[in-house]
Amino acid sequence: MFSVLFKLKWFFKENRKRYTVALILLMITNVLVVIPPWLIGEAIDSIYMQTLTTKLLAVLLGSMLLIMAVNYACNFVWQYQLFGGAYVIERQLRGRLMRHFLKMTPTFYEKNKTGDLMARSTNDLRAISETAGFGIMTLIDSTLYLLTLVLTMGFLVSWKLTLVAILPLPILAFIMQVLGKKIHERYMTAQQVFGDLNDNVLEAVAGVRVVRAYVQERATENEFAKMTEDVFQKNMHVEKIDALFMPISKVLTGLTYMIGLGYGAYLVSIGDMTLGNLVTFNVYLGMIVWPMFAIGELINVMQRGNASLDRVTETLDYEEDVKDPEQPVTMELPENVGFRDVFFTYPMSHSVNLDAIKLHLDRGDTLGIVGKTGSGKTTFVKQLLREYPVGEGEIVFSGVPLQSMTKDQVRDWIGYVPQDHVLFSRSVKENILFGRPDASDADIAETIRLSYFEKDLEMLPDGLDTLVGEKGVALSGGQKQRISIARALVKNPEILILDDSLSAVDAKTEAKIIENIQAERSGKTTIITTHRLSAIQHANWIIVLDDGRVIEEGTHEGLLGMNGWYKEQFDRQQIGEVE
Amino acid sequence: MGTGKRLVHYALDYKKLLITGLVLLGFAVGADLMGPMIAKKIIDDHIAGAVGGGIDFEPIAKLLAVFFGLAVVTAILRYFQYLLLQNAANRIVQKMRNDLYEHIQTLPIRYFDNLPAGKVVARITNDTEAIRNLYVTVVSQFAISGMYITGIFIALFYLDPKMGAITLFVLPILYIWMKMYRKFASKVNHIIRGKVSDMNAMINESINGMTIIQAFRREKQMEEEFRELNDEHYHYQNKLLKVEAATSHNLVDIIRSMTFVFFIWYFGGASLATESVISVGMLYAFVDYITRLFNPVTGIVNQFARLEHSLVAAERVFKLLDREGEPVSDDKIARYRGNVRFENVWFAYKEEEYVLKDLSFEAKQGETVALVGHTGSGKSSIMNLLFRFYDASKGAITIDGMNINDMPRQTVRDHMGIVLQDPYLFSGTVESNVSLGDARITREKVQQSLDAVGGERVLKHLPGGIDEPVVEKGSTLSSGQRQLISFARALAFDPAILILDEATSNIDTETEEIIQHAMDVLKKGRTTFIIAHRLSTIKNADRILVLDRGEIVESGSHDELLALGGQYAQMYKLQAGTSSQPKIG
Repeated sequence: MFSVLFKLKWFFKENRKRYTVALILLMITNVLVVIPPWLIGEAIDSIYMQTLTTKLLAVLLGSMLLIMAVNYACNFVWQYQLFGGAYVIERQLRGRLMRHFLKMTPTFYEKNKTGDLMARSTNDLRAISETAGFGIMTLIDSTLYLLTLVLTMGFLVSWKLTLVAILPLPILAFIMQVLGKKIHERYMTAQQVFGDLNDNVLEAVAGVRVVRAYVQERATENEFAKMTEDVFQKNMHVEKIDALFMPISKVLTGLTYMIGLGYGAYLVSIGDMTLGNLVTFNVYLGMIVWPMFAIGELINVMQRGNASLDRVTETLDYEEDVKDPEQPVTMELPENVGFRDVFFTYPMSHSVNLDAIKLHLDRGDTLGIVGKTGSGKTTFVKQLLREYPVGEGEIVFSGVPLQSMTKDQVRDWIGYVPQDHVLFSRSVKENILFGRPDASDADIAETIRLSYFEKDLEMLPDGLDTLVGEKGVALSGGQKQRISIARALVKNPEILILDDSLSAVDAKTEAKIIENIQAERSGKTTIITTHRLSAIQHANWIIVLDDGRVIEEGTHEGLLGMNGWYKEQFDRQQIGEVE
Repeated sequence: MGTGKRLVHYALDYKKLLITGLVLLGFAVGADLMGPMIAKKIIDDHIAGAVGGGIDFEPIAKLLAVFFGLAVVTAILRYFQYLLLQNAANRIVQKMRNDLYEHIQTLPIRYFDNLPAGKVVARITNDTEAIRNLYVTVVSQFAISGMYITGIFIALFYLDPKMGAITLFVLPILYIWMKMYRKFASKVNHIIRGKVSDMNAMINESINGMTIIQAFRREKQMEEEFRELNDEHYHYQNKLLKVEAATSHNLVDIIRSMTFVFFIWYFGGASLATESVISVGMLYAFVDYITRLFNPVTGIVNQFARLEHSLVAAERVFKLLDREGEPVSDDKIARYRGNVRFENVWFAYKEEEYVLKDLSFEAKQGETVALVGHTGSGKSSIMNLLFRFYDASKGAITIDGMNINDMPRQTVRDHMGIVLQDPYLFSGTVESNVSLGDARITREKVQQSLDAVGGERVLKHLPGGIDEPVVEKGSTLSSGQRQLISFARALAFDPAILILDEATSNIDTETEEIIQHAMDVLKKGRTTFIIAHRLSTIKNADRILVLDRGEIVESGSHDELLALGGQYAQMYKLQAGTSSQPKIG
């Protein structure tokens, strides 16, 4: 249970000063707080015994005020230091997680779902942070503070009374612990149901056109009402246990006070203690309830923190799948790209995804890649981005194998336009600048022209400054694709990869964009994968992939002459689409 | 009505539960606060008087039994009070959720087109959850604290009016503190919450766009941006912490100590000044009450941040509820034949920016009309108008001679079917996606419809058949499979008018054939509008409307239009590659 504290040793070491100060002051206040009740007891006794003098009164009041002031200062410092420590570790781990995510390649993201990673960077971080702040406090409160109180009650008032009166409190702490666990289970179920409700609404909203078109408003309303009823039931299920907390603690602390008063009365009557002592004792009884609860809190916080820390560490310990070589070969620009019998299998896949690919591309060539969905087109182009460990065979740039260069160097040559358009929640301009942060406004205007986005830009409410992505305006698939193309073009990359990136624009627009790209990129390499053959007719070389193998290759004319898949597809597309 | 008033208004629906709960609470507080009085009696009557001598334990035992009995009564009352208030709070929020959900069904499609789905969902679930917190913890905490504070002051005044009056000094301090704290802390809290959500959004977005970040080597930039956010968040956290450490428990401690200082000063001074004897029991009771006074105070203070958050959420919810909607109508009409007429229809999404200009055309029962044109030519707007997702600005659309604006939207749509370009599937099963859970669509009907559109060829790979689970958005199914399911859906509902928005591309040839067949099945006997992308579909249409910037520029059959040699012919040629193929490279 406390192993989490050892696992966090590095952190406590790094922040030794902060924690030393915090803990020392915390302990000082814990001792200081027991004095005022004792002073009150003394005051009551002296009032009762008629022994109170002006001097004694002044001493009592002065001590109270002094302790109050010292206590306030100590409290402020330790709280600021200790809970501040929790924020330090939270920030530190969050930054580390983000840096780690930025290093990870797709294999990692296939193994870990986004939701899970998000949970680690939010809930788990919170639990760890709680351990480093609140957890440490409960640790002290449930041990040293508890001890201080018991000792004070014992020595200052009466050992017999203390031991008898606090008897019900451990029972209380135990019951709370058990109930807490039960509540947690039920709470998780309730959260689950709430999550389902959330998903249900999301679908109904996203599919609102379907719901309305088929007049299913009432049906969805009924379904929703059923789910809210379920949420209600599950919440009440939690509350039924939650409702027990207060009453049980009321009864058991009531029992404690009753013992304190009854047995205390007896002790007073036989002269073992004074009436003032009895009052002091009752105040202490009130104070001891929290450290008893703190034991339960401590167990929970430490357990949660431990599990969370393990999860976060597991993520952070995941080693890069694709490492840079120790002595990388540097190269200005590649003259050619070669695939020499390249085989490749995805880490999570059972079958071969690229099978004996042989290919040679000179600088300035355009390569077209076609084939059915799932034939390996994207897998092929992604080889160049080095997202996965290389397979068998060799991919060489000017004769140098891909893996003997840094990823940075290779990626620097490449401009990539993915199949699924990924835009970030920023302005159109910032999204394009993502390709090259130092691009001038003129560069941006030019790439927007090249990617045929000018007209669309006029329609956007704030032009280039329009916010897109999750929080921004909704763009059509075609618009997103063209911004995505502009982002790659602004980089003016040595090798441009268009991975089925024009699927959502109409044939005419596609033709225009391809024409622009051709004109602008003479002398530079372009790789295009597509379903529309018209987009690659001009390529120097076209390969047809099927199940990861090249089944046909050649120029457009050559492939037509082969009378194979390409020709068949071409004929079909002659009566293809209009728009 | 203000937000607070409306929240009360909602609560009034469950006033029986709430009032019973509060009454129980009142008794519980009363019983609880009797405790120190009993202790006072024990001390004064049975201990103090008898010190030195033997004491009579019988009355003490009786009083102690009452003392404990009161604790038990308090416990029981509090248990039921808690459940009652929880029940009420959860019911209120359930009702609010249902109301909201029903309300969004009445909102025009425009609302959904302009707002990301996530935001709408946040109103219905997260914001109402925050309101639940308001009723559950905030309100009951305030009620409990309020009653305790009042009760304790009554007891203090009863014991010694003068000392009770002195103790009142805590109230203005509390009030000022609340005001200051709310002003500062709620602001900082708001910023912190904002930063957290920004950071989470950034992590989420980065994970989803990692390929792009890495391909464009923007890791450093992202790291830097994230570090800034993280640092700012840390900065504000510490700022708030400083305030918390200076006030909060620490301040309560100070006020409590001050109260005790006054207490000693007052009673000590009194005992010095006069010879009057103050009873120890009274002193005991005072100490006990003063100690208890501060728990509810901390309780209230701890709820501030939540209160603020909940009120903002409530404001948003009410704003959404205030949006004007059009009630969902349950009127049905007999199946119309499906003669559709557009008469001089004008339409603009935004003021005066017309996307459809003076459109007139007719589609008779059973005819197929293909709509052709570039992006932005107005094809989708025609669909939006026909379904009354939007209403025409000028002109009229009639079905069998009836103006569709004269019928409730639901009635118009009742005999229409739609297949969207990107067919939307709900999580459930293939079956539930075809029937949409409508009781009129039987399982047999689902099976028949799937068979009719040629579904078995595509769906036979699914191990569960029509009970195969469909996950969110149907992402485990291929686009062909999704399309077929949505065809079957349209067929099962047997509409008189059908609108098909073809998928642009990305479908391999085999699937395309199957879909072509499905479309032929579907069109039979219905008035069909096709937003067309493929020549094969268009060729068979009875009429082709070529749209350009919201106007019909050409209209006729495929052959007629080819003969005309206009835009359509040019487009056709471009596609077929017979002439003017842009030679590139």
